[in-house]
This record gives sequence, C-alpha cells and structure tokens, in this order.
Amino acid sequence: MAELEFERRLERLFAESRELPDAGLFAERVERRLDAGWTARRWLIGAAGVVGGVIGASQLMMTNLFQRVETAGDSARLLSSSFVHVSTGADWVAAVSNGGTVVWVAAGLAVLMMGFVLTRVIGEI
Amino acid sequence: MPGARHSRFASLHDVELCTHAATGERRAFGELVRRHGSAVRGVLRRMGAQAAEADDVAQDAFLTAFERIAEFRGEGTFAGWVKKIAARLYLRRLHRDRKLGAMTAEAIEEEADPPRGDADATIDLEEALKVLGSVERLCVTMCFGAGLSHSEAAEALNLPLGTVKSHVKRGLDKLRTRLAPENGVALEGRRGNG
Repeated sequence: MAELEFERRLERLFAESRELPDAGLFAERVERRLDAGWTARRWLIGAAGVVGGVIGASQLMMTNLFQRVETAGDSARLLSSSFVHVSTGADWVAAVSNGGTVVWVAAGLAVLMMGFVLTRVIGEI
Repeated sequence: MPGARHSRFASLHDVELCTHAATGERRAFGELVRRHGSAVRGVLRRMGAQAAEADDVAQDAFLTAFERIAEFRGEGTFAGWVKKIAARLYLRRLHRDRKLGAMTAEAIEEEADPPRGDADATIDLEEALKVLGSVERLCVTMCFGAGLSHSEAAEALNLPLGTVKSHVKRGLDKLRTRLAPENGVALEGRRGNG
C-alpha cells in the first residue's frame, strides 16, 4: 500500500515541472523551425510544379498539338456549314409540313449532328 | 497580427489546439509548445540529458509531434504524448552516440547499497534523482515521468523486461530513502516501525 502511495507521489512530483525561464524563447525557436520547414516545403512544391509544367509544355510542342488543333478546327467549321445546310432543309420541311413530328425529327438530327461533330473533334485531338 | 492570434489560441483547450494544428495552423501548435515545452524539457533533463541537449531533443520531439499530430486522438494528455516521443528520441540519440551501452555496463559496476537518506529534509526530485545510477534514472524517469510502461521502456532501451523492472525497483528503493515523505515523517522510519 505504502509502495503504491509512493509511486503515485512520485508521478505527481514528475508531473509538477517548473516553468523554465526561457519557455517563450523555446516556443519561438520551435515555431521558427516549423515556419522554415513550411517555407522549404512550399519552395519544393513550387519547383516541382515549374519542372512539371516545363516538361508538359515541351511534350505538347513535340507532338504538334497546335497543328492538330488547327486541323480539328477546320473540320469543325466544315461540319458546321453542313449543319447549317441541313437546318435550312429542316426549316423548309417544317415550313412545308408544319407538323410536330417533323420538328422532333429535325431536333433528333441536330443532336446526332452535334454528336458527330464532337466525336470528330475529339478524334482529331 | 501574430499577437492577436496567440491570444485567440491562449483560451483554447489542448485538444482544440491539436485540431487546429492538424489543419496546418502552426500558431496553434506554438501555443501548445508554449504550454508544455518546459515539462518536456524537464523530463529529458531528469533522464540525464544536459540542458542544451535536452532542448535539442525537445525541439525535435515537438517537430515530430507536429508531423504526426493526426495520430494524437486525445486519449491521453498532449504533454504525455510528446514526453513519450521525446524520451524515445533521446534514447535513439544515446544509441547513436553509443552512450547507452556504456551506461548499461556502468550500471553493473555500480555499488549495490542505496545511499542513506536524510529523513529530516525534503529533497528536491532533481537532487534525489542524482543518487540513481544512469540507467536506473533513465528507467524511473521513462516510467514515471514520460509515462511509458515497463515493456515500452524495455523495448526503447533494447533491454530485457526483467532488467528494466529491476532497474526501476532499485531506483524506487533509492528514491524512497532519499525523498522525505509529504507529511514530514520518514518513510524509512514508518517501514521500520510497522
């Protein structure tokens, strides 16, 4: 029993630590090291980002991406003009029949055309 | 305004500060260091570290604690958690500097008789710890100051569990005779009477 009491007392004595006079300075030193580590980490991430960006840009240049985008743009313009022709035709059909079914068919065709255009553009890229 | 932020954090509980620190708020962690820095440095000094060495290890311990703050779930106290980290870091340093092996060898050669206590005087814990051998001091402080179990201390010290237990027992016996009891009556005397 006395042994247990003594052990508890010892734990209390260990827990009662005096505040050291330079406690504030110590905390500041730790904070400075934390800040330094944080700054180093930010620089590291930033540098990795720049290196990754440069590598990515050089890879894009090497694969002639811009030329491909231009070709895809031309294709899209061609398809758009076709679409305009089809729409004009659809207007003519609508004007002729003036029926609800024709409108739905025209809308369906437009959706199909848009899908086709998108597929071509993605394929080109 | 760092001052304003410090005062904002000063009113928060340790667990709340840990939650802030877990989101990367370094000022919240700074408040925890301000509160518990002395206790952590104190444990290291009681383990036998010199003041400068204790400060270095304590700094490393707090930095490690910040890195691993998500692991702290508030089951024990924050100070207790950092003390355990600090104790393990200090032992690692002793291993690295090959001081621990020398300490263990030295412990075998130490005199077996505990020094006679001055029952009339209440002796400071720091003074009392000085009568312990270096390994006894390490073991007692790790178990009673840093809150490690005997088996955790044995693992950290790379010693058999039985050896650590006997170091702790011998250390406690020496401290019992050295530290005057709280009510001013020597424990030795009480034990002699009953």
